[in-house]
Amino acid sequence: MKKTNELPFKGKFTLLLILTIVCLLVGFWLGAEPLNWERFLELWMMPGNTFSRVIILWRLPRVLAAFLVGACLSMSGVVFQGVFRNPLAEPYLLGSSAGASVGAVVSILVSLPISNSISLPFLSFLGAWGATGIVVAVGRVAKLKDSHGLLLTGVAVSAVFVSIRGLLMMALSDETVSLKSVMSWMLGGIQTPYWRELPFMILLSMACFLLCLSLCRGLDVLGLGDDTAVSMGMNLTGFLNRSVLIGAFATAMAVSWGGLIGFIGLIVPHVFRWWIGPSHARLLLFSSLGGGALLMVMDGLSRMLLPPSEIPLGLLTALLGGPIFIFILAREGRN
Amino acid sequence: MLLPWTGKKLIIVVKVVLFSLSVFFFSPAKTLLGQPYPLEVVDALGRKVLIPHKPQRIVSIFSSNTEILYSVGAGSRIVGVEEKTHFPPEVTKLPKIGGRLGFSVEKIASLNPDLVVLTPARHAAATLVKPLEIIGVPVVVILHKDVPSIFKNILFIGRIVGEETRARCIVKNMKKRVEAIREKIASLPPRTVYLETGVGSQGRFRTVNSGTYSYDILRLAGGKSIFPDLKRGFQVSGEAILLADPDWILVAGNQNRMDEIKSRPGWCKMKAVRNHKIRMVKREFLLIPGPRIVFGIEQIAHILFPEVFHEKDK
Repeated sequence: MKKTNELPFKGKFTLLLILTIVCLLVGFWLGAEPLNWERFLELWMMPGNTFSRVIILWRLPRVLAAFLVGACLSMSGVVFQGVFRNPLAEPYLLGSSAGASVGAVVSILVSLPISNSISLPFLSFLGAWGATGIVVAVGRVAKLKDSHGLLLTGVAVSAVFVSIRGLLMMALSDETVSLKSVMSWMLGGIQTPYWRELPFMILLSMACFLLCLSLCRGLDVLGLGDDTAVSMGMNLTGFLNRSVLIGAFATAMAVSWGGLIGFIGLIVPHVFRWWIGPSHARLLLFSSLGGGALLMVMDGLSRMLLPPSEIPLGLLTALLGGPIFIFILAREGRN
Repeated sequence: MLLPWTGKKLIIVVKVVLFSLSVFFFSPAKTLLGQPYPLEVVDALGRKVLIPHKPQRIVSIFSSNTEILYSVGAGSRIVGVEEKTHFPPEVTKLPKIGGRLGFSVEKIASLNPDLVVLTPARHAAATLVKPLEIIGVPVVVILHKDVPSIFKNILFIGRIVGEETRARCIVKNMKKRVEAIREKIASLPPRTVYLETGVGSQGRFRTVNSGTYSYDILRLAGGKSIFPDLKRGFQVSGEAILLADPDWILVAGNQNRMDEIKSRPGWCKMKAVRNHKIRMVKREFLLIPGPRIVFGIEQIAHILFPEVFHEKDK
């Protein structure tokens, strides 16, 4: 019995790995000027010319950063969907992203004594945590039994944070420079890191992954229902608080590297739940790989679709994600 | 033992002599020939930018910078522009590196530029500066705040592309024309003006904001904005405009907008509408911070003070 289960899982995992590598190559290939053989050879023959430098120093780190952002978004999606037991939960809808964006706006527009590369993730995290914390607290006080109610709270809290963000932007930016940089960041778009920044980002993402992994057993138990979970000795409130903290952490990482990118955290875990079932550890592994792969391709498309312009990535994911969201909602309604 | 030591000493002496000679000959020669490269400048964001040699392949982002580059005589060296740049007409044939939806680092790189000039509007600075720095293309950020800063920027761009003399000449000429207007209208009281630059969100309107070049253009043409303290980025309500009841309404737009203005509720009661003091002004003279702002100043002055400028024509 166990063996028959394990074999297809391994097969699926290999398939996903191959898919991820293909997506990496596609992401690397796509751009305002897709790499043709001539250009590709130039990379090795003339590494010094401007186009080769763009590919090596700009496109490649960006593709890798897109992977990390996609992975973090999907991880927070898995955690939020698991803990709220609602397939529509995701950082964008739960107010987590909006909260993170308020933190980020403060860190971009207010000159703080610490450097931006530290304050941006940190304040994003505080914002994300705060916003999701408010949603959970409201749910608890109002005794919302239905998790859809929690999502509605998320939408409301999101709206409040978005207006706070708007006010801050009006009040704090006297120069067009900072305002524009906030705007471009809000539309969502992978910030190309320097090569030297990548190891740090990979490390943080790995930490994120491990933290989420530590929640997986609890999420599985929670899936059996509150009563069962309590009877198995689980501290529900404590677990919820821990999950929200870790989910907010994953969201904040994604938001500080890639701006506001919606729906990835929604679609990816959902699709994989259909494919490999509800076990959270597997779901987390598959979703982070798959989310990363998807975002690499989406980012490539954003660079390539309307050359020479670059479509903000957040718009592209919303275009794809909106209809899928409606589809999931309709499916949920039928069941 | 002794011999190589003398050899080394000799080499050092020769080096020192050669170095002092080179300093003596080259530094004055460099400036005399007008070749101050490599040139280090500080741009509007306070970044230090090194221009290694006289730029030959320039990517210019936004109309203002393109017009300035043309005016100082570096137009033929532009290899790429942004989509919305239409002046001078020949730029429309150049490769485009971006537009409404954003800009492409990869497209810029494929043009192999040795200088990128841009203004921090429409995300340009946010999306381009860091990537271009990473790949080692010199990028200079220009910020056109008010009219004096436009003069400074023309000189600055002139210096970067090695056309300093010409830039100085352009600025001198512009200042002369502004001064000529000022002299003619100096004795007359300024006219109150509502200058509409666009229709904003939720029934509000965009007009000139203090501290901007459009505001300066109006001021130098003898106009006084009815919202003299309007901060950058803020819009005004129709009610506030009705209350202020300006002498003149100027519209940076087209004929349709002029008709639409008259039909706005309550606006027909305004002094300017009753006296037929609504005029259209050319957007490009008003909203592109380049050499053509002087036309904008002259155009508005001619509208606001017909008595002065018509007498002169007679």
